[in-house]
This record gives sequence, structure tokens and C-alpha cells, in this order.
Amino acid sequence: MLCYQCGAQLSEQDYCTSCGADVAMYKKILYASNQLYNDGLEKARVRDLSGAVISLRQSLKFYKKNIEARNLLGLVYFEMGEVVSALSEWVLSKNLRPKKNMAGNYIDIVQSSAGRLETINQTIKKYNQAYYYCTQGSKDLAIIQLKKVLSMNPKFLRAHQLLALLYMDGEQWERAQKELKKCLEIDRNNTIALGYLQEVEQALFPEDGAKAPAKRKKDDSVRYQSDNEIIIQPLNVKEPKKGNVASFLNILIGVVIGLAAMYFLVVPGITAQVRNEANRKVTEIGNQLDTKTAAIEELERQMKSLEDDKTYLQQELEGYVGPNGTMDMIDSFLEMVSNYLDSGDVEQAASDLEAFAEAVDVTQTSQALQQLYQSVLTAIGPEMGKICYDAGVEALKDKLYEEAVGNLSKAVTYDPSNVEALYQLGNAYRESGDTANAIAAYERLVEEFPDSNRVRRAQRYIDDLSEE
Amino acid sequence: MINFEEELKKFHPSLEVEQAEDAIYNQDLTDMADLLVKMIKEAQKQDVE
Repeated sequence: MLCYQCGAQLSEQDYCTSCGADVAMYKKILYASNQLYNDGLEKARVRDLSGAVISLRQSLKFYKKNIEARNLLGLVYFEMGEVVSALSEWVLSKNLRPKKNMAGNYIDIVQSSAGRLETINQTIKKYNQAYYYCTQGSKDLAIIQLKKVLSMNPKFLRAHQLLALLYMDGEQWERAQKELKKCLEIDRNNTIALGYLQEVEQALFPEDGAKAPAKRKKDDSVRYQSDNEIIIQPLNVKEPKKGNVASFLNILIGVVIGLAAMYFLVVPGITAQVRNEANRKVTEIGNQLDTKTAAIEELERQMKSLEDDKTYLQQELEGYVGPNGTMDMIDSFLEMVSNYLDSGDVEQAASDLEAFAEAVDVTQTSQALQQLYQSVLTAIGPEMGKICYDAGVEALKDKLYEEAVGNLSKAVTYDPSNVEALYQLGNAYRESGDTANAIAAYERLVEEFPDSNRVRRAQRYIDDLSEE
Repeated sequence: MINFEEELKKFHPSLEVEQAEDAIYNQDLTDMADLLVKMIKEAQKQDVE
């Protein structure tokens, strides 16, 4: 204890032994300060922090240079979460006694980590934000903000108090009680907390003593808007405590659900993909098969066509070179012509010529052959016509009409200029009852030989037969 | 019954770290010892006069 006037160490006397100043009152003030410091220390030891704050502040009001009291006040503030107030006290303490002062150590501890100081500052800012939310009526947002604050600094007494007050306002008494108990764990004689707790207990435990919790009137969730999203945060939701067996069962169920999801969601997808791939390949192979089948059918059709052509050509060839073929008939015809030229046998030549005409379509043969045929026919025609005419007339007299028609037809064929043969042919038809051929023969006569003396009679027969 | 609005008045924003310097400078550090010394000095001055 130093003299306020000269700074000398004071003795037990009521005056300064150095300068003689009266220090009795001064000593009493310092004693009072020390007494209050001791009181604050006792309260701090039993975690009566608010009481300690009062005592220590009073101590400092008596004597501001009571470094121990100021340092302890800083510690108490720090314990209550009032970090800035604590730093203020320690800075003042350090300023009042620069050396041999624990306040320097405290400041160094707080400021040693920039992250720690930043966290403290963020905590304070969030608390202030929550306070402003309260003043603006955004209580739900304030609750969320205060929860964040307390997660960062669980000893922030004022945050606990404000959160408890908000819970009480929302009639969430159990939560308020929980917060208030946390307050009292930090500061046992906190007047505000005790007052609130009394209110809460009255709400929780009515006068009849029944321990029935008050009914919540508000929702168990907090709603607030962040940008364009409405966030609903459930309150008072706790994860049920489970044992190891339950955890194992949960993991097992999770694995089973995962496998089931794999089986029901992933496997069908893979199966469908494989099936689709197989179907695609089957379709592709089917298309190739159809193409090849169509090609085979086309080739078969071409082969059949070629087979038909081959058969036709073989038949054609047979027709030319085979027995009784064109070449054979031509040879026979040439042989017949040769025989006729050698023998002059008209009847044999006529017979061979008829056989040739029946076997071969003369008009389809070569021009030279047709000319030869006509030449032979012209050569033998008149004589052959006369022979046939005589035979026909004889047969007509004998009323052998069929034979007569055959011979007379040949006679007309061999000698088309034979009018009499044509007239007798008409008669043979008429006599045999073949009216149509008879009329045709007579009309041919009238048409081709209009100057013949047989025309009048032929015309009369035509008229008579037409009337019939 | 607790009145929320009234109770809220008991709370106030906490000082942020940036405001600590101002808080220290603005703190009234006058104590009883200062007052006593001042009174004694004034009394001595009156005695001299």
C-alpha cells in the first residue's frame, strides 16, 4: 500500500511516515476495496459469478488500481462469455501495472490464435443479430441464431438467458428450463435466470403439485426464410439412443435395403438393356435372313426361268434335229423332190408333199424352202389336180360324198384355176348335206371366176341353199 | 408473468472486438480513492488560503 501523495510504502500508522499525509481514510478505502475483492473471490469460487461481478466492480469503484480485483473481474467476465469486457479489464489492468501482471498472460492467451479471436467476434456478432431479430419480432430466427451462438460459445450467459426468454415467450417451458439450468450451471446466483426459472417452474408444475408439462401451443418446428427458400427446422427432436445391437441391425437393414434397391432398380435396368440388345441383334439377323431369303428366291426364280428356257430350247432343238424334226422333214422333203425329179411319179410326189405339209408348217420354214415347195406344187399341181378331180367326180357319181369332197378339195388345192373342180366340190358338199361349205365353194366360184358358165348355176344353188 | 418486451429491455447488444478500444477509453475510472485525494487536496488548499 503506497502513499497517495509521495508514493512511499505506508506503515501501520494513520499517516505517511515519509510525507506526513493523513492516510487513515485512504487506508479505509483500500481496505474496503480489498474486502470487496475477497468477497468477489469467494463468490467466484462458488460460481456466483454475477455476485462476484458486483463485488469486484464495487471493489474497483473504491480503488481502481486493485489489480487482482480487475484481473479477477476479467476472468469472471470471460467465464460468462463476455470476452470483450474481459479483454477491456485486462487491458486496463495491464495499463495500470505493466509489469508482473497476469492480465498480460490472459490477453496473450486470447490473442495468440487469430482464429480463436475471430470465432469470439463472430459469436458476438451473431448474438447481436439475434438480439435485433428479437427487437424486430423475428423470434424464430432469433432462436436459430442463438443456437448457433451457443454451439460456438456454450458459456455465453446472456445468450442462454435470451434463448430461455424466447422459449418462455413461446411457452416451450421445458426448453426454457433446460436453458436456465445451463445458465445456473455457469452462474449459480444469476438473478435473471432464477427469476425466469421460477416462472418456468410455475408453468411446468401448477399449484396442485402434479408434474404435468405445459401443453405446447406452438409448432415444434422453426420456420424461417433464407433467400427464396422456406426452411423448416424441427425443434426438440432427438435421435433415439440405441445400443450396439440396434446400430448393427440398422446397418444390416440398410445393407438389405441397398441390395433390394440394387435388385429392383439396377438389375431390371441391366436386364432390359441386355434384352434390348438381344432383340436388336435378332432383328438385325432377321433382316439379314430376309434379305438372303429374297436373294435365294430371286436366284431360284432365275434358275427356274433358265431351266424353262433350257427345256424350251431343248424342245426347239429336238424339233429341229430330232426324229420327225424340221431338219428331218426338210431332208425328207429334199429326198421327195429328188425322187420326183428322178421318177416323175406325180402321185408319190403329191403324197409326200401332203405328208410334208401336215408335218411342217410351211409358212414357218425358210424362204428358199417355201419357194421350192411352191415350185414342186406348181409342177405337179395341174396333173395332180386332174387325177384328184377324176377320182372325186367318180366318187360323187357313186354317191361317196366324203371321198368325193376329199379328192375334189385336193384337186382345187393342186390346181386353183380348175373351175370345174371347184363347182363339183360345191356339189359334193351340197349332196352330202354340208350346206355351209357348199355355199362357200359356190361363192368362191362366183367371185373368182365370174365369167365361167358355171356361175349362173352356182348362184342358183347359193340362192336355193340360202333359202333353206 | 414474464413480459417479453419488458424483459427484452434488460438485454443489450454485446460489445464487439472492434469496439473494445472505445469501451476502454470511455470507461469512467474515477474511484473513491481519487475522490478522497481530491477532497484532501481541496481542503489543504482552503487551509492555506
